[in-house]
Amino acid sequence: MIHGELESALERRAPGAWELYRKTAETRELDLAAAERGEAWRREEGWAARWWDHGMRFASASDPARLLSAISLAGRLPAAEEPPPPLPKREVHREPDVAPVAPPPELFEPLAQLVSEKSRGEAVLSSLTIRRGRSVEEIRNAAGLFVRMESSLLDGVARALGRRGPRACERRALFRWDTEPELSALAGRLADGATLPLAPRGAPFARGGWLLDPAVAAAMLAAIAPLFSAETLPRWVKRGELASRRVTIADDASADAPCDGEGTTTRRVLAVEAGALGARFQDLRSARRAAAHPTGHGVRPSYRTPPAPGPRRLFFETAGGVAPLELLAGVARGIFARALTAPVAVDLEADRYSVEFTGVVIVGGRAAEPVAGTRVSGRVSEFLGRIAGVATDRQFFPMPYPVGAPTLLVERVNFE
Amino acid sequence: MEIEDGAIARWLDPLTLTRDDSADVFLETRRTTTVEWRDGMPAEPRVAVEAGVSARHRRKGRDRLVFLSGVEEGDIREAIRALQKPHGKPPPAPPRRSGDHPEPPPDPSVERWTRRLAPVFERHVPRHRFRWSLDEITRRVVPSGSPGSTPGRSTRRLFSLEGTFVAASRRGDEKRSFSFHAPEADGTADELREALTRAAVARERPIPAGDAGGDVLFAAGTAAFLFHEILSHALEAGADENPLTLLAAARVSIPDLDVRDDPMRLDLFGGYERDDEGTRARSVKLLDAGRVGGKLTDHAHAEARGSTGHGRRAGPGDLPLARGSNTLVSAGSGTSEEMMRRLGNGLWIDEIDSGAVELSSGRFRLQFPRARRIRRGRLAEEIGPGLVAGEMLAALSAVEPVLGRELHVCRSLGWCSRGGQVVPVQGEAPDVIVRRLSVRDR
Repeated sequence: MIHGELESALERRAPGAWELYRKTAETRELDLAAAERGEAWRREEGWAARWWDHGMRFASASDPARLLSAISLAGRLPAAEEPPPPLPKREVHREPDVAPVAPPPELFEPLAQLVSEKSRGEAVLSSLTIRRGRSVEEIRNAAGLFVRMESSLLDGVARALGRRGPRACERRALFRWDTEPELSALAGRLADGATLPLAPRGAPFARGGWLLDPAVAAAMLAAIAPLFSAETLPRWVKRGELASRRVTIADDASADAPCDGEGTTTRRVLAVEAGALGARFQDLRSARRAAAHPTGHGVRPSYRTPPAPGPRRLFFETAGGVAPLELLAGVARGIFARALTAPVAVDLEADRYSVEFTGVVIVGGRAAEPVAGTRVSGRVSEFLGRIAGVATDRQFFPMPYPVGAPTLLVERVNFE
Repeated sequence: MEIEDGAIARWLDPLTLTRDDSADVFLETRRTTTVEWRDGMPAEPRVAVEAGVSARHRRKGRDRLVFLSGVEEGDIREAIRALQKPHGKPPPAPPRRSGDHPEPPPDPSVERWTRRLAPVFERHVPRHRFRWSLDEITRRVVPSGSPGSTPGRSTRRLFSLEGTFVAASRRGDEKRSFSFHAPEADGTADELREALTRAAVARERPIPAGDAGGDVLFAAGTAAFLFHEILSHALEAGADENPLTLLAAARVSIPDLDVRDDPMRLDLFGGYERDDEGTRARSVKLLDAGRVGGKLTDHAHAEARGSTGHGRRAGPGDLPLARGSNTLVSAGSGTSEEMMRRLGNGLWIDEIDSGAVELSSGRFRLQFPRARRIRRGRLAEEIGPGLVAGEMLAALSAVEPVLGRELHVCRSLGWCSRGGQVVPVQGEAPDVIVRRLSVRDR
């Protein structure tokens, strides 16, 4: 009995203070480019153990025997003293689906056609990697917890190349579909991202309204998300007025999984409620340190890393939002940020951010000419406080956890 | 008991029926030890012991790969079988017993390092948050008989230290970032000590760089970062079309500039003797006397001489890609003082923490945590953090004709990602001046 042997080994080392995790995953991937085709089938197994023996220790391996070795090796290393957190107790058991994972859908041709149409022939789809998979996670601990949960995914990355005369530009878009493939939205992002930077001009004015496409707004939300699990808040954060009153940000992964990576029940948590900073995302260890309850945010990006507090499905609430066209109509002079041209840079401690993007000039509530590239930089606190409008067109993007954002309007922004 | 190469090659035979077919089996075992260091105290030790196998088949631009956890006979056979029946139901995972493997011996090197690092940190950077890791990676490739490939195995031990520390500056304490990557060797501890000493030197507090075009002197080996982005990536076979694509053998830079990619430099982080397709690695001139040189190839993109031995995988679950390894820039004749005098007014950069290139447009950017202004050939105020940006061909044509005479290894260059696959890389370069780049705050 594999579990029994591992559990005994852990109980001997850390009576009542251990956790055992196992993940099995099967994925099928299709990688398509003009002249190349790659297919991959992967079946991965991962084991992890965490225990408190004069401090927290962690071991991971690709099978139980190697895990026993890793536990023995990690047990010899020095660790800082840390008492164990209270471990959750419950039992959630769902029989995993045993059917093989179907190959991902062949979408290169239809997506290529849509990219070409939406860019008026100026952009081509250069590659598409699409992956379908399923994973089963099991968690056991010294308090008697046993959780088994299953999840599935359909995600990937597409790249498009825009060309105008001698100039060229490549755009890469990550996608994750919770239901059916949404090719039109993906093609639009690729076409605009690959062709707008080829425009001849930059921002025509230095100040105005800033309309953020859902993809750009999601990247910004992901960049500031560490604020919601930080043990110490930066000095500039005012709990009561972190953001404009129009902003409510929630995290709710209950549709994805009943528990987090430590076995704590998934729940909805408001990180920002009508502009005020809400609850902090807590895992078992951070909750013990803060003398609080865990919120179900012990995240394991991989079996190779121990759980850490973080968002799981983070999104702007859009219940009080307006139609995107209504937001557009309200911009007398500004720029619509359609796609990023560099990763969003945020320094939460220093209250600074910088976003480089391509988009379209807005004059009198209407889209005018394209903008090749411009930059907005400033204080994170000002960005959050100047969100003047939230639309209803929320979309989710992999960051790598799902982040949902609608079109946002930010007032009084300086363009460089 | 380890399966013989010949037996594995025989199992692959049914997959290579025509001359267009090639197949291989790739096995990796990896032991990674990680320790978090906080102000001289080790914390949260982690050990990962992993093993994985993949079988790959390639025919006329079509690759198929099967990856499974484990490296035992059953895993290898199963991976090959699944490759033979790509559309059939995959076989169920075999039951595993915990007593399948003998316990690996403890690594005395790990315990020695944890003892050695504490006094080094205490002396040079007492307030810090570092993550130290030691990776022992053993790889084995068994090809089906592709030309140029023979069964091969390699073991690399890679040492990494990354994080931040608090250093004294002349206007108070400041947080500085630090990264150091090297293959584990006898001299690693001394080299680390020197790097920490240099990093912790008291400095003025930096001021913003402002937005300006500028001439830049890449010092302390940081030119390797630049050429890694604009030459190594651009000349990886299978990379996207880029400004160098149609310029084979064209002169794009000064005649004194030679840049090569050399995996055989095993003293550097990106070194290896055989690539992940079993091909013996060889040095490739990326820039030969200022002219565009050869491509870095794997089997799939091999030219007449065959693969250059640059088929690399991040792990057994990935298909090999043609990737760069160690970017080496040849030395010139200028002393450090002469290079600063030549620069006149500009920026002196001795630390870069990341870089990126967009191949289709040729635009690149390098982020630096801090730099020094040079005024009239002398070091002036500290600036940063900022970024240097430019375009590939414009930057190559703007390299100053004199290069520094001392070569420096750039130990902060350690890991490179392409398409989500991360491989170890490094480089060595003399001081290099590049004119008319764009410099701004970040």
